[in-house]
Amino acid sequence: MNQRRFAWSRACATGITLRMLTALLQDVHLLGESAVRPSNPPEQSIAHPVMTAHSFALPVIIFTTFWGLIGIAGPWFVPKGPNRGVIITMLVATAVCCYLFWLIAILAQLNPLFGPQLKNETIWYVRFLWE
Amino acid sequence: MGSMFRSEEVALVQLLLPTAAAYTCVSQLGELGLVEFRDLNASVSAFQRRFVVDVRRCEELEKTFTFLKEEVQRAGLTLPPPEGALPAPPPRELLRIQEETDRLAQELRDVRGNQQALRAQLHQLQLHSAVLDQSHGPPMAAAHTEGPSSERTPLLPTARGPHADLKVNFVAGAVEPYKAAALERLLWRACRGFLIASFRETEGQLEDPVTGEPATWMTFVISYWGEQIGQKIRKITDCFHCHVFPYLEQEEARRGVLQQLQQQSQELQEVLGETERFLSQVLGRVQQLLPPGQVQIRKMKAVYLALNQCSVSTTHKCLIAEVWCATRDLPTLQQALQDGSSEEGVSAVAHRIPCRDMPPTLVRTNRFTASFQGIVDAYGVGRYREVNPAPYTIITFPFLFAVMFGDVGHGLLMFLFALAMVLTENRPSVKAAQNEIWQTFFGGRYLLLLMGLFSVYTGFIYNECFSRATTIFPSGWSVAAMANQSGWSDKYLSQHPMLTLNPNITGVFLGPYPFGIDPIWSLATNHLSFLNSFKMKMSVILGVTHMAFGVFLGIFNHMHFGQAHRLLLETLPELIFLLGLFGYLVFLIVYKWLRESAASASTAPSILIHFINMFLFAQSPTNQPLFHGQEVVQYVLVVLALATVPILLLGTPLYLLRQHRRRNTQRRPAGREDKDSDKLLASSDASSTSVNSWNADEEKAGIPGDEEEAEFVPSEVFMHQAIHTIEFCLGCISNTASYLRLWALSLAHAQLSEVLWAMVMRIGLGMGREMGMAAVVLVPVFAAFAVLTVAILLVMEGLSAFLHALRLHWVEFQNKFYSGTGYKLSPFTFTVDNE
Repeated sequence: MNQRRFAWSRACATGITLRMLTALLQDVHLLGESAVRPSNPPEQSIAHPVMTAHSFALPVIIFTTFWGLIGIAGPWFVPKGPNRGVIITMLVATAVCCYLFWLIAILAQLNPLFGPQLKNETIWYVRFLWE
Repeated sequence: MGSMFRSEEVALVQLLLPTAAAYTCVSQLGELGLVEFRDLNASVSAFQRRFVVDVRRCEELEKTFTFLKEEVQRAGLTLPPPEGALPAPPPRELLRIQEETDRLAQELRDVRGNQQALRAQLHQLQLHSAVLDQSHGPPMAAAHTEGPSSERTPLLPTARGPHADLKVNFVAGAVEPYKAAALERLLWRACRGFLIASFRETEGQLEDPVTGEPATWMTFVISYWGEQIGQKIRKITDCFHCHVFPYLEQEEARRGVLQQLQQQSQELQEVLGETERFLSQVLGRVQQLLPPGQVQIRKMKAVYLALNQCSVSTTHKCLIAEVWCATRDLPTLQQALQDGSSEEGVSAVAHRIPCRDMPPTLVRTNRFTASFQGIVDAYGVGRYREVNPAPYTIITFPFLFAVMFGDVGHGLLMFLFALAMVLTENRPSVKAAQNEIWQTFFGGRYLLLLMGLFSVYTGFIYNECFSRATTIFPSGWSVAAMANQSGWSDKYLSQHPMLTLNPNITGVFLGPYPFGIDPIWSLATNHLSFLNSFKMKMSVILGVTHMAFGVFLGIFNHMHFGQAHRLLLETLPELIFLLGLFGYLVFLIVYKWLRESAASASTAPSILIHFINMFLFAQSPTNQPLFHGQEVVQYVLVVLALATVPILLLGTPLYLLRQHRRRNTQRRPAGREDKDSDKLLASSDASSTSVNSWNADEEKAGIPGDEEEAEFVPSEVFMHQAIHTIEFCLGCISNTASYLRLWALSLAHAQLSEVLWAMVMRIGLGMGREMGMAAVVLVPVFAAFAVLTVAILLVMEGLSAFLHALRLHWVEFQNKFYSGTGYKLSPFTFTVDNE
């Protein structure tokens, strides 16, 4: 019973943290929800459908919640036994390592300073494939 | 608790074992495997100890056992493994076991001897019958006959040659085939044609009595005349160690002898059969007796060796033993002693005694955590009760390995291999494998399992599966938008072989890829420019985090050993230095990621130049500041970091010096009163229950007493602290750079993997001209690809990444808090350690 109460308070705390985090994210300068602005119709009148934009806030919320559940909420559900300490350490360490690694990967691509250089064959092929 | 956070509390226990019950008690302790005996008779040689006679008897018995085992193996039988619980037998049993074993050994020797003799006899009979049986053709009489004829009827009785009055004699025998030619030659040369020799190979193969292997023999019949020739021939055959048998002239006589021989050999074979039956009976008894006997005698010898380590108390007529025992196991120990001694009606006593030496380290592990504890212990077993890095290593080691190995395909292969080993780990065939390399891999199966699992995860983040990227989500870069907005017509494309996407143009960059590296980078020719920057920054971030965690763990050590002053005088300055300089670097990295965008790409500040200028207090005019007030912040941080160096250098030694002086002035006026010394001991006891290290030298541990104060040598303390400071400060820089191997190895792995794909697999997949052609060519191409993947990428790169991840743990992580100068508790146990 105590365990469940703790779990509920943990969940509340997580929810509050998430709300704060979202607010913070929206303050930081993001490429975030920028939708594709339709360009001026170029010389060739090829109808190009709009590519879906990737938001930044959504993956952050999802993964933070996911690893937060594993690293912060998970330890409360480990059954008592001789290995409890080790299992809790493993959960927390996994959550920290994997979350940090994913975060580094996404932050590095948030504001790219230069773009990919492609061969003309690749451009010709991908232009029509990835639309 | 049972966690691996720090090693368990181990106490020194003194056991008083009454002589009557000493053996049983020690044997009980051996079954439990809880305690480590300390050798109280270290100054006594092995031959002068109390139980040396019993040990010698056990060793002699073991020699007999070895002989019996060899005999059993020679007969081609196997010894069944011992079953059931076999406790060490009481001393009076030793005599019975010894008698039984000696009797069996003697019987075995006798029977073997008999068998050998019988076999040799049989061999002789068989040779004789072979010699007589061989159809050498008629024995030659006259010299003018051309060589041996193959007629059956002997010429002799009807011969009326010129030399018919000369008596022809025969020498018949058998010789080994390889000597036959030499024998023949020598006979010819020596006797100059006055003999006729005929050599034939035996038709059947005869069993050699010694080795039991079938061998062919050459039988010969030599017919000669003249006594001297006869003597010569006999000497020659003796020299060649031939078996010579009497050869009668008449065929009937020979046949009679042959029949006799056959009868004899039949009888002999019956006797031999009986002997062999008896032998197998004896061997059966040996098979029954030997396995439990071996176990029992081994245990008995171990018990006597342990008893030899106890000292004798003549007044109390009991043995005194000092053992190391985990505090948690003390009740079990008491119970075992009770059980062992209650039969004799006496009671064995165990009580804790204070110890001056550092107790051994005991960390309880199960089969999962054992491999991780093993790699930590390979560097050095932890000091008594210091923080154990193993529980964190369970995750960080596979993680750092995976950062250097990241590939979904390779990780999956490794994971499946480890999974196969884990799922079949209880099979006896798997456990009994003798190959050392297999044993190494098998011992690390849980390690490989986690390494493979994390490699799959980092492979997804790096977006590499056998070096191919996957588009789980759509890419965040729109080539079409770039093409349309820059007017990339087909003609334009054909004129320009390479073109770059510009994130400044709206619609080209649509947002960061949600999970990992964007797949467009695997198509780009400048992908290394992006990946290198990403991976180097990632290495620095991971490295600084890992090292800061290491310094943080040191806090627990300082608190446990009662050195709270080191928190303020060492840990705090270390953290300020590390985080002030390299934590700031991490901050700069993350800040630049968040703030700088493509719009200002041409004037983007370089973190490296800023960092270098920070240390040199210089400025580069072309390098824009990252944020407002950056110069001031950097200046403050560098000054702060430099200020921590003298604190690190002088803080702890000065504090200890002051404490030492204060203690001396306290004691001198009171003049060795018991009150003060009690106060000292009381205060020191209160600070820590077990170990309290007196000077800054962490290797010496002991309870501070009056006589140890003289050991405080100020110069040593200052020197040690200076070394530690230099090591830490310079180490911060070099260790952070050392973490760049995460980048280097992941780059190497990615490039190797890509080269393998481009050079091998793509050739097979690119043969798309005719349908059948590609399918046929793909088979050997894939075989080559698979072999090279396993050999180069899995084995070689795996070992390499394993080694570097290990080094990062051993050096960069552990030198922040771990000393590793302890020794393991090796309990007195009867189980043979196979693993």
